[in-house]
Amino acid sequence: MKRITLAFLSFAVLVGGSVAQAQDKYPFKPIKVVVPFGAGSATDIVIRIVGDQMRHELGQQIVVENKPGAFGILAIEEMVKARPDGYTLQVGNPGTNVLAPIIYKDKFKIDYDKEVVMVSRMGEVPLILAATVKDFAPKNYGEFIALAKANPGKVRYASVGVGSNNHYDTEAFAQWAGLKLIHIPNKGGGAAITNDLVSGDAQVALVNAASSAGVIKGGLLKVLAVMAEERMPEYPDAPTLKELGYASGKGLWSALYAPAKTPPEVLDAIHKATVAALKSAPVQEAFRKQMIKAVPNLSLADAKAWNEMEVAHWRKLTETVKVEKPE
Amino acid sequence: MEFFDNLAIGFGVALTPANLGFAFLGAMVGTLIGVLPGIGPIATIAMLLPLTFHLEPLSGLIMLAGIFYGAQYGGSTTAILVNLPGETSSVMTCIDGHQMARQGRAGVALAVAAISSFFAGCISTALIAGFAPPLAKIGQSFGAPEYFSLMLLGLVAAVVLAHGSILKAVAMIVLGLLVGLVGTDGNTGGTRFTFDIRELIDGIDVATLAIGLFGVGEVISNLSRPEEQRSVIAQKITRLWPTGDDFRRSWRAVLRGTALGSILGVLPGGGATLSSFAAYALEKKVSREPSRFGRGAVEGVAAPESANNAGAQTSFIPMLTLGIPGNAVMALMIGALTIHGIQPGPQIMSERPQLFWGMVASMWVGNLMLVIINLPLIGIWVQLLKVPYRFLYLAILLFCAIGVYTVNNSSAAVLLAAFFGVVGFILMKLDCEPAPMILGFVLGPLMEENLRRAMKIASGDPMIFVQRPISLGLLIAAALLLLIVALPAIRGKREEVFQG
Repeated sequence: MKRITLAFLSFAVLVGGSVAQAQDKYPFKPIKVVVPFGAGSATDIVIRIVGDQMRHELGQQIVVENKPGAFGILAIEEMVKARPDGYTLQVGNPGTNVLAPIIYKDKFKIDYDKEVVMVSRMGEVPLILAATVKDFAPKNYGEFIALAKANPGKVRYASVGVGSNNHYDTEAFAQWAGLKLIHIPNKGGGAAITNDLVSGDAQVALVNAASSAGVIKGGLLKVLAVMAEERMPEYPDAPTLKELGYASGKGLWSALYAPAKTPPEVLDAIHKATVAALKSAPVQEAFRKQMIKAVPNLSLADAKAWNEMEVAHWRKLTETVKVEKPE
Repeated sequence: MEFFDNLAIGFGVALTPANLGFAFLGAMVGTLIGVLPGIGPIATIAMLLPLTFHLEPLSGLIMLAGIFYGAQYGGSTTAILVNLPGETSSVMTCIDGHQMARQGRAGVALAVAAISSFFAGCISTALIAGFAPPLAKIGQSFGAPEYFSLMLLGLVAAVVLAHGSILKAVAMIVLGLLVGLVGTDGNTGGTRFTFDIRELIDGIDVATLAIGLFGVGEVISNLSRPEEQRSVIAQKITRLWPTGDDFRRSWRAVLRGTALGSILGVLPGGGATLSSFAAYALEKKVSREPSRFGRGAVEGVAAPESANNAGAQTSFIPMLTLGIPGNAVMALMIGALTIHGIQPGPQIMSERPQLFWGMVASMWVGNLMLVIINLPLIGIWVQLLKVPYRFLYLAILLFCAIGVYTVNNSSAAVLLAAFFGVVGFILMKLDCEPAPMILGFVLGPLMEENLRRAMKIASGDPMIFVQRPISLGLLIAAALLLLIVALPAIRGKREEVFQG
C-alpha cells in the first residue's frame, strides 16, 4: 500500500512540480519513461528493474508509462513533444527506435534523427533459433539446414509481425543460409510465437532466450543455434550463428532515449545514473536471472557511435533483404 | 492419491498467515479498483510490480492473482449496477444483470454473481488439481485449424445470442466483424480502415468498444428519456437475497457455465474471453423460456459469471505451463515470475510444486475471500443506485473515460469510446443487440487469422480442417447447431428461441 501512496504522491509532485521550473539541480521531480510496449513485456521489465535502481542513483522516482501502438511511434512522439528537460524519456528496442524510423519514416510527424538521441543501451537478451518437436525431425542446426534445403518453400517460420525486426532478422538469416521459408506472422508478440512452435503451426523461429527457457527445458522446443556473441552456458552444444559464419546476428537489445534538445549537463546526469544502475549488483542479479546481459555505453559519444553503426546495419538489411514489405 | 497430495502441498503454502494476508490484500485491492473502473487492474498491477521484486515469488503471485479475480468480480458489479462492463468478461453480465437491477433486483443479481463465481472457482480448482497435466496437453494440441473451427462454432452460436430478429443478429455480427478488421492485416502488414489515423494502426481495443457501446450508450439512452423515468431503478428494490426460485433456475446454468469455462480457459490465448459469451449462448439455447433472456433472467447472470471465473482459473494452466498469457494482467504475472528467474514451462509442476499448487490453492482461498468481502457490500452497492441520475451519469461517464484512457494511455481511445457510445445509442433505438456485435468483433479477426494461417500450413488445401480430429469434431458441432436452427420440424422451437 505504501508503494501506491508513493506513486500517487509522485504523481502529485509531477503535476505540481512543473509550475516551479528549474531552480533546483536536475532531477528535482520524478522522471517519466515512456515504454512502447505493454506492461510485463520484455522491454517493460528491463526499464522497471533499471528504473528501480536509478531511483537510488538520482534520488527521484522513475515513473513508467506504457504507450504501445503504431510500431512505437506514439511513444517516441510523446517523448519528443514533451519539454526536453530530461523529465520525459523513452525506452526502445531495434524495432521501435532503429527499424521503424527507417521503414515507417512517413508515418512519423517528427524528424526522428534530429529529435531523438540514444542515452545508452541497457540490456541484451540472446535470441535462439528454436524448432518445434511436433512432426519436425531435425534435432540440430545441420539437420535443419539439410531439411530446409531439400524442401524449399515448405518449412514454416514464425515472427512477431510483417516488417518487424524479428521478421527481418529471420529473413536475413535465411537469405544468408540459402533457405526459402514460409512466413507465419503473429501479432501476439514473443510468447505467442513460442506457442506457434509448440502447437506446430510454425516449425522454426528466432525466440527470446529468457521467455522460451521453460518451454525448451520442458522438451517442447529444440535449440538449433544461438544468436549472440558467445555460446550460452544453458545450451553448451548449440553453436552461435557467428561461429557458423553468420556475422550480423545480434541479440535483442533495449536502450534508453532522450529528446535531442535536452541540455548536455542533464543528458550527462541521466547517462551516468543509467550506467551506474546497470553496473549495480541488484540489476546485475535481476538481469542474470532472466538471461539479460547489461550492455551500457560508457559515454554519450560511445552511445551515439553505436547507434549510428546499428542504423547503418539495419539500413543495409532493409535494402538487401526482400520481405513482403507493408505499404 | 496424487489429487490430495497436490492439494495438500498447495494448501500447506497458501494457508500460511503471510500468504493469506497477501490473498486478502489482493482481493480487496482488486475489488476496489474493479468497482471504480477508473484505475484498471493493469495499471494497478504494473504499479505494484516493483514491490513483488522483494517478495517471495509465490506471495507476489498470490497477491497479483487476487487483484485479477477481484477486479473481474468488481467489473461484474458495475456491469449489473450501471451497465458498464469493467472487463470484456463482464460484457454478457450486463445484458440480464442490468435488467435485473432495473427491476429492483440488483441485490439478487450481485449475490447470484458472487455465489456462481465462487462455485465455479471451487470446481475448477478441483479440476486443475486433478487434471492439470492432461489439460495442459489439450492446449498444446490447438493449432490454427482447430482455432478456426472453434471460432466458426462460436459464430454460429452467436446467432443464438440475439433476442430480436435473426436478420438483425447477423447484421450485428457482420458489423462487429467489420469493426474488428480495423488495423493492420497480420499477414501482409497492410492497413485496413485506418484512414491514416496512427492510433488505429493496431486496431480498436475491445474495452473501448464495450465501454462505448454499453456504458456510454446506456447513459445517452437514459438521458433521452424524460427526467422522471431516468432513474436506474424503475421499480422499488424488493429484496437483496436470491429466492428459492432463483436458485432453482440458476444451478444448472452454473454447472454448464463452469464446464464450458473450464474447457475454454485451457486454450492458450484468449480462450477465457470466449467463455462467458459461449455460456450465455448455450444457456439461452437450452432454456425452455428463451424469451426471458435479455429481460432480467437470473440464469443470464449465473451462466456467464460462473464461466468467466472458471475460465480465468483454468487459464492459469497455459500461463504457467507454456508462458502464454490469456490477457494483459496475466502478461504482467509472467513478468513477475521471470523477474524471480522462474520460467513458465511444462516442468513447472514437477520442479516447483509449491509454487504451482500453492497458486492453485490460493485461487480457492481468493474466491472465498471475494465472497466474504463482497456479500456484505451488496447492500451498499445497491444504495448507490439511489443517487439521483443527474449526478450518477456524470460519474459513470468520468469512469468510462478514465477506464478507456488507461488501457493504452491513449486519448484517441476516449474519443473512439464516445463515438461508439453514439453508435450504441442508435443501435438501441433500432432494437439491435450490441452483444453479437462484440462477439463478431472478438471472433472475426481471430477466425480470419487462423483461416489464412491454416491455409498456409496446408499449402492451400482446405482438407486440413477435416483431417485434424479436434477440428473435425468442432465443425460437426457447428453443423449440428446450424441443423437444429434450420430444421423445419423444430421450427416452432426456433421461433421461440428468436422471439423478442
